[in-house]
Amino acid sequence: MKRFPSLVCLLLAAAVCAGGSSLSLDVREHVLSNGMKILMVPKPGVPRVVCHVYYKVGSINERPGITGIAHLFEHMMFKGTRVMGVTDFGKNDAINRKIDEVMDKIYRERYWKRGGGDEDKIAPWRKEYEELVKAEKPLIVKDDLWTVYMKNGGTGLNASTGNETTGYYVTLPSNKVELQMLLESDRMMNAYFREFYSEKDVVMEERRLSENRPGFLFGEQVTAAFYAASPYSWQVLGWMDDLKKITRADIREFHDRYYVPNNCVAVYVGAFDPKRILALAETYFGRIPRAADVEPIRTLEPPQAAEKRLSGEGPAPTNLQIMFHTPPEGHPDTAPLQVLSTVLGSGGFGGGFMGRGGGGGSGRLWKLLVRDKQSAVNASAFSRPQWYVGAFQFSAMPRLDKGVSPEDLEKEIWAEIEKIKKEGVTPEELQAAKNRRESNFLRGLQSPMGLTASLGRAELNRGWRSLITDIEDIRKVTNDDIKRAAAVYFVKDNSLTAVYKRKMGR
Amino acid sequence: MKKTLALVLALGWITVLSGYGQVEKPSDLKFPELKYDPPDPKALRTVFAGGLRGYVQEDRSLPLVNISAAFDFGSLYDSADKAGLAELLSASLIKGGTGSRTGTEIEDRLDFLGGSLSFNAGERIATLSLTVRSQDLDEGLALFFDVLRDPRFREDAVALEKARLVEGLRQANDQPAAVLAREYERLLYGDHPLTRQATRKSYEGLTVADLKAAHGRFFSPRNAVLAASGDFDRTALKRKIDRLIGPWKSRPSVPPEFPGSFPPVEPGVYFIQRPISQGYISLGHLGLEDTHPDFYAVQVMNFILGGGSFTSRITTKVRSDEGLAYNTGSRFTYRWGFPGTFSGYVQTKSSTVAYAVSLILKEFERIRAELVTEEEMETAVNYYLESFSEVFQTAQTTTSSFANLELTGKPLDYYARYRDRIKAVTREKVLEAARKYIRPDKTAIMIIGDWEPCNQGGEKYPGPLEKFGPVRRVPLLDPLTGDPVKTP
Repeated sequence: MKRFPSLVCLLLAAAVCAGGSSLSLDVREHVLSNGMKILMVPKPGVPRVVCHVYYKVGSINERPGITGIAHLFEHMMFKGTRVMGVTDFGKNDAINRKIDEVMDKIYRERYWKRGGGDEDKIAPWRKEYEELVKAEKPLIVKDDLWTVYMKNGGTGLNASTGNETTGYYVTLPSNKVELQMLLESDRMMNAYFREFYSEKDVVMEERRLSENRPGFLFGEQVTAAFYAASPYSWQVLGWMDDLKKITRADIREFHDRYYVPNNCVAVYVGAFDPKRILALAETYFGRIPRAADVEPIRTLEPPQAAEKRLSGEGPAPTNLQIMFHTPPEGHPDTAPLQVLSTVLGSGGFGGGFMGRGGGGGSGRLWKLLVRDKQSAVNASAFSRPQWYVGAFQFSAMPRLDKGVSPEDLEKEIWAEIEKIKKEGVTPEELQAAKNRRESNFLRGLQSPMGLTASLGRAELNRGWRSLITDIEDIRKVTNDDIKRAAAVYFVKDNSLTAVYKRKMGR
Repeated sequence: MKKTLALVLALGWITVLSGYGQVEKPSDLKFPELKYDPPDPKALRTVFAGGLRGYVQEDRSLPLVNISAAFDFGSLYDSADKAGLAELLSASLIKGGTGSRTGTEIEDRLDFLGGSLSFNAGERIATLSLTVRSQDLDEGLALFFDVLRDPRFREDAVALEKARLVEGLRQANDQPAAVLAREYERLLYGDHPLTRQATRKSYEGLTVADLKAAHGRFFSPRNAVLAASGDFDRTALKRKIDRLIGPWKSRPSVPPEFPGSFPPVEPGVYFIQRPISQGYISLGHLGLEDTHPDFYAVQVMNFILGGGSFTSRITTKVRSDEGLAYNTGSRFTYRWGFPGTFSGYVQTKSSTVAYAVSLILKEFERIRAELVTEEEMETAVNYYLESFSEVFQTAQTTTSSFANLELTGKPLDYYARYRDRIKAVTREKVLEAARKYIRPDKTAIMIIGDWEPCNQGGEKYPGPLEKFGPVRRVPLLDPLTGDPVKTP
């Protein structure tokens, strides 16, 4: 039985004005009876529609043993469903049950026993697995969803997993939005996780690719050391051990808990008729039953109460990071910290690895350390509030050709921090930072894909209107707010300092 | 239920809803027809004072203005003894200041306005881009044209940028992917201005006089095309820009000539040693220019071979079937005035390097041997037709796409005729294109990885790599000096 709640009553149109200028953010929102949110921004013009679905799930919803599963899951969403990607589902399902059985035997032997188990026992099972995979191949329609999207002019086709959210993206011609509704609702309700074990190999290759990026492994250790308890401590890619051992049963459980209509939002930006989109959404997403509510994550970060230091060496450029724990999004101290990071930091990494190009080198740290003292190659600050726990980070790369060490830069940055605690920033710096954040926000609205992503991610945490209220909070920041926030958070017992030195290996 | 349904009926929704019976499979969907005609470049084209050409489109949806000027300038034009000149100019055009403002003054002012101004010189196209709120348009335009017309490359700013570029050289071998991109091109083009690399010595030898000379030679109104979009009145904008161009004159300049042929590359394996857990691989040879009539057939062919991500043969085989790699496929790159490159590519763990290469080579052979299927053809052609309007999704992409056509001398009806040219590609033409542009007999395989495990291979495909032809060990160059790195 389908239900049509009074659409019109729930259809809200919000016009938002920023800065007294003529900006309006015309977002229409609607909630389906199963709890799924629909956001729409009609933009007449070129007949294309950006269609994104965001789920409120990411690596912070994982636990030791299944780290990396949110990202692995995102990969599996492209491997077909009970409807898509298969010619004879009954036969295919029978084979997959056998695959699960034999892989269960292999995993128990290899991972439950000390020393990796008995290879002689594993070998015949492995052979059996390969035979089953061979038998499954003719039943599989490879990359069915991807091909159908492409054939219909789908662009921006992708998906991504973060700490907090997972998004599924496509942009289609205006007359084909129904295709997205069909395929996305199908993979929400009928996900099947075909070719699970070979896709895990792909994800492990993806992790190796990152490991070969100089500095990645050190960065991973820095994050792990920074968070003692919070699930932000592991990377979205997860630990290799967990990737090896995650099972198809783990994936199913993850699906049933998080991939439910009341845990997601679909966002549409482009040339369309909102009434038509809502009718389609009712038809396709509306057919999926509501599931149990998802509890927010429990473990926040306890007070650190001791300074942390980490040192390492390897094939990446010598650099320094100083990190501090800060409050999450929505906290009154978030806006002052955001403004401060803009004053200090817009120099260094903006225009590529050296922050070349205009505009990039006008932050206070850049002027002081790169331009005037010439002791750094780049220097920047970055504030990342996140949903549950925040971080404020200083980064700098010393001028080795002038004999500067990371420790020298550490002293320079601390001197600057102490100065901010006492004097704060100048009125010009404060106004410039506010202007910059506001116009960055405006610029973000220029790209339909950027707008879609901002709306979807914001909606899942504090509602899409937080995009606007955050800017309003930025406008209200005073120099006293900045001084106070700096004094509270920039203290040794709340910090981690990471010193990395280049050393070439074999 | 009845009540809500009645409400829906009363509002006339029945006409909307009746069209949406739910279907199970994409093949059951019927889409209403959609006609789309791309914007006409002639309607947006204008010529400013001094012969500066431009494409201008009003877009009042946000209080912002985007302006960019693209010049025919880049590293290609660095002479042999001045390698790195375009990069240094790119880094210091704004930071070096103008006759009336220091670089810091320019950046601070834009920062205060919340605007952005950036300059980037590539191989042969250099672009200055400005974004400002429309209320700051006059000031933004003044800064934009000041930087273009009257840069002074102050000594201290240039010295700082040189030091930063040298630091960049120090990091240039860090990323295996960057090393592969650089060395693969050097292999295919040989010693040519396209592959010339700056060193510490060449950067340090560059002078402010060199920068000023390059600016004087390449930065003139006739050598650029402007793209402007956003919240402004078209006529008023033209008046403002004409006034700012005022005294900026074009000098007659003769474009440099370059050798257009490249020495043949011996097929086989080119191996660069790095102690990493994967092999980074590109295999192929030179391709074609995008102005060639075969371009459209090559696009469709490569979509099927390895350019159409998951719908393509290489990705299906190497990634989906075998789980060997995260990144794999094939690509044609294009460059203005020269043939681009063709490459199959993959990054995979050392023990499966040889296996992945063998699978890609098989796909090279297969697409040359037989016609692609009707289904593959339909997917590829429809992709290009149905995604065509993407280019025009914002006024900014529309104007800059047209500016790019004009700068590179492509016909202005390129987009108007694009879909017909894609439609004209047939399976036979795809086969013809594959036979002409995919040449396994001329394929060079470049691998960056750990020699022992890569050469040893794995169960499914044991080494040695000599199976693919003679193996040459290529020394890794130290970008600071241009000499081979000494292995510790």
